[in-house]
Amino acid sequence: MLNKQRRYDSLVRALHTDVFRYAYWLCGDRHVAEDITQEAFLRAWKSLDSLKDDKAAKAWLITILRRENARRFERKQFDYSDVEQESLEDAQHLSSEDETEHYWLRRQIAKLDDEYREPLVLQVIGGFSGDEIAELLGLNRNTVMTRLFRARNQLKEALEHTDLRGQSNG
Amino acid sequence: MDELEFRRRAYGDPHSQEPEFLSAMQESPAREQFVAELKSLDRRVEKALKVDVPEGLADKLILRQQLTAHHSQRRRTRYLIAMAASVAFVVGVSFGVLRFGPVDLGEHALAHVYHEPKALLSDSTVELADLNASLASLRGLEHARFEGEPGQVVFKAYCDFRGVRSLHLVLENAGGKVTLFIVPIEERMQLETQFADAKYQGLGFKTKEAFMLLVGEQGSALKEAAKEVRQRFI
Repeated sequence: MLNKQRRYDSLVRALHTDVFRYAYWLCGDRHVAEDITQEAFLRAWKSLDSLKDDKAAKAWLITILRRENARRFERKQFDYSDVEQESLEDAQHLSSEDETEHYWLRRQIAKLDDEYREPLVLQVIGGFSGDEIAELLGLNRNTVMTRLFRARNQLKEALEHTDLRGQSNG
Repeated sequence: MDELEFRRRAYGDPHSQEPEFLSAMQESPAREQFVAELKSLDRRVEKALKVDVPEGLADKLILRQQLTAHHSQRRRTRYLIAMAASVAFVVGVSFGVLRFGPVDLGEHALAHVYHEPKALLSDSTVELADLNASLASLRGLEHARFEGEPGQVVFKAYCDFRGVRSLHLVLENAGGKVTLFIVPIEERMQLETQFADAKYQGLGFKTKEAFMLLVGEQGSALKEAAKEVRQRFI
């Protein structure tokens, strides 16, 4: 029991940041993200004994979280929050130029199709390989790589566009 | 690796360490530049993806789990208590049914006489004061007493009439020995005024506070004892 507690504690400390961020990009709302993170960790606690290899913990938690997120849609069909609104919320406490870029980039990321955004988040934040992402999302590796290609391509183009616009405006 | 494939791979994962990809990248400075740009994009994307995590989230996650664990433990304890309680209840009820079911006094009186044969062999002498003290210690009979000895009392003991503390006496008169049970009145007891088996006869009557049960071998001795008791018991 004590051992299980210690294991859970270290799991939380090590992974809550990544899991929360992944949840945020999955649902686009900080509060919902916190809720599903809570639910996911609680489920993880209950079935902690089924996690044999701690190295697989992150992928395991991500799987639980995705299921939790899907459940949210079963419960409330139209609870999808407006991502743009959320980004605007964030914008209120932005000050430096750096943060302005974050704000802009976040909007671009939020605008990506879910199916492009999700593998990107898993790769960049989660540090998962193409094969691991394929397994997590139940896709084949080629599909994952194509989606990653499109995600980066769209972001790059968006960036180049604004950079051009910025130059012409200046 | 042709240009298209190279770009696909770079877009898919600019940080890829696959040897094929790395050597393809080194083929031209333009390619290296291209990958560098994508890596820079990734750094920016990474920063942008790293939204602030709610303050104290880790603590909240641990707290909530501990509350849940505590809760389920309490539920388990409650379950055990409930189980114990219902077992105790069933035991209590069945015991109560056995103990508080209707009691046939006559039958019980006879059984008791057989159960304690030594009582009839006793020839000690019980003083009236002693007898009355014993009587007063019975529930509901605090004020009952014998005015005088109901014949010679040769045996005195407390006994249990299905959970009711009673007095077991043996009286001796000219006709022989007679057993007398004085049982405080309880609703569930059924009094028979006359009872008997092959060996003994019995008489029962009720005073204000007690059932009187007399058991003897000779009818005459029994009647004599009953008369004495009726006269002296107040």
